[in-house]
Amino acid sequence: MAAQTLAEAAVIEGNYSVAFPFFGAERRGAPVLAFTRIDSGKIYSKTQVYYPDCVVVLDDSLLDTIDVVSGLKPEGFVVINSKDVPEDIDLGMEVQTGAVDATSVALEILKAPITNTAILGAFAKVTGIVSIGSIEEAIKRRFGEKLGEKIGERNALAARTAYGRVVSGKSMGVKRLEVKKQWLPRYQEIPVGGALVKGKTSAGLIGPGSFIENKVSGWATFRPVRDREKCTMCLLCWLYCPEGTIIRISDKGDLMTNYDYCKGCGICANECPVDAIKMVRARV
Amino acid sequence: MKRVITGDHAVAIGAKLCRVEVVPAYPITPQTLIIEHIAEFINDGEMDAKFMTMESEHSVMSAAAGASAAGARTFTATASQGLAYMHEMVYATAPLRLPVVMANVNRSLSTPPGIWIEYNDSMGERDSGWLQVYVEDNQEALDMIIQSYRIAEDKRVLLPIMPCLDGFVLSHTVEPVEVPDSSEVDSFLPPYEPDVFLDPENPALMGMLMPPQYFMEMRRQTDKAVESAKEVTGEVNREFAKVFGRDYGGLVDTYMMEDAEIALITIGTVTSTARKVVDDMRRAGKKVGIVKLRFFRPFPADELRSALSGMGAVGVVDRSISYNGGGPVFGEVRSALYGMTMPVINHLAGIGGRDVTEKLIATMFELTLKAANGESVKPVIWHETRGESL
Repeated sequence: MAAQTLAEAAVIEGNYSVAFPFFGAERRGAPVLAFTRIDSGKIYSKTQVYYPDCVVVLDDSLLDTIDVVSGLKPEGFVVINSKDVPEDIDLGMEVQTGAVDATSVALEILKAPITNTAILGAFAKVTGIVSIGSIEEAIKRRFGEKLGEKIGERNALAARTAYGRVVSGKSMGVKRLEVKKQWLPRYQEIPVGGALVKGKTSAGLIGPGSFIENKVSGWATFRPVRDREKCTMCLLCWLYCPEGTIIRISDKGDLMTNYDYCKGCGICANECPVDAIKMVRARV
Repeated sequence: MKRVITGDHAVAIGAKLCRVEVVPAYPITPQTLIIEHIAEFINDGEMDAKFMTMESEHSVMSAAAGASAAGARTFTATASQGLAYMHEMVYATAPLRLPVVMANVNRSLSTPPGIWIEYNDSMGERDSGWLQVYVEDNQEALDMIIQSYRIAEDKRVLLPIMPCLDGFVLSHTVEPVEVPDSSEVDSFLPPYEPDVFLDPENPALMGMLMPPQYFMEMRRQTDKAVESAKEVTGEVNREFAKVFGRDYGGLVDTYMMEDAEIALITIGTVTSTARKVVDDMRRAGKKVGIVKLRFFRPFPADELRSALSGMGAVGVVDRSISYNGGGPVFGEVRSALYGMTMPVINHLAGIGGRDVTEKLIATMFELTLKAANGESVKPVIWHETRGESL
């Protein structure tokens, strides 16, 4: 939605713009990519962007696993959702950076950790590619159309607020991120029919159980905390958890949550019939 | 033992001899006799298999894929709308490399509704990754069930295969069939032992989402397997001939091609009738021959080029139409013969069950001879179609 809204803002200013997402396996909370191109004339290229002028990072936990500035031009910009100031953010590249705590802005104004409108305000301030007025107009159009005028205006306010709070500076360029190697077998090396048994490749485990290597706690904005006094051990949370992170400790008649794999989706809290589970901010 | 049986009965006996373990089934004319015979074999204790009556063909192929993935030798049969209804699962089965054998009794795909032969049901599944072989008599129908399992389960192939027989012309026609000894089939066809199968003790992931960085390689893997089936088909044919004494030629078969000046490419039962027409025309001094296209996938492009080299003209018989493109076999053959200079004529005939007579086949030969003599002949001919001229 942020990429599309940015495209709309650019078009409002008389430009041509194209925006598109790229999804991996569709899972709640999984990292996704989205691209926007802006030009004065028609854009013909229908491929992904490999050498961006600007990188927008909606979740700074990605910095631990993904080289977000890969391909970024040295004179480019980074806009990042972070509590830190640019000088404390190590992107592995010294580059003009605008940081804003878009999560807090979103929680204050939208009452939900949905940061894609707030971050656009920061984008307008840092890059000057589009004006904050056009961003607000684009948000009102796109969000207002679907969710009603009031929500459109609230999202525009989130952008305006982030516009005011963004801190500009230069990022650190110290760390050399070791990006996890992907398993890219030749067609002859893929097991027949793509049937995977438990095994190891140069890039790690494959097959059943291999996802234990992928800890996803960083995806969570909130994490569930259970009140043992209220809990009746009805096990609805255990039943509904899409990731199987709630574990029964049978000899104690108790439950525990494996936060390594909890994405903070909140389904357990929603399903709990006695409100024993509260969602709390995971990272402050 | 020689028996006088229908094509459907021969197919059912073939499945029994192969010691098939799972048969998910749904009836449809003209295939129903096959699964009825199998149900009887199981009921009478002649066959030890799990017979599953499903609620639709989509479920049939889902169950067949599941059974095969669990390591069971799996058989089913279908026709026409049934095949169309399982289309989605037909496409799912091949890249998973599950060696299901499914007899397809060719019947026209609606509309207009009909129950008689046309190849537009199976040929519509051309791009699914399934192997397809077309037979000309009931003996070949039985023998190709046995060969199908050998080809499909070969570790170089591991693909599903569809032996196709002409609806009613074979399915409901009795003729003598030599039924092989069970013990001979057993030694020709060892039990199916997959390397990986669904097993709670040794979990495996099958049919996972493949993002773009894997997809082309997966497609190429299946493509390569279909390619590998060419070699395996030849090997299996030769070994079958050694054991059972019947040689079908492999991917293609030829008749009177040694000194032929023109050839007709035939498929299914038209081949059988055309053999007699060739004999008659040879007596009249006309040097004509037949190339019988047995496998439609893998497509024997090289074999056709070598069999047809030096021909004055080639006629291609099609029993279905790819609207505005001639028949599907014609398109494939002409593409395979690219760069060769002889005229290639498409003979559309027998679509929807219209009888393909000896006289009609003789007309095809005559028109192909005309083309070889440099006379003008339509490239796509609708034979015996009111309102069309030759």
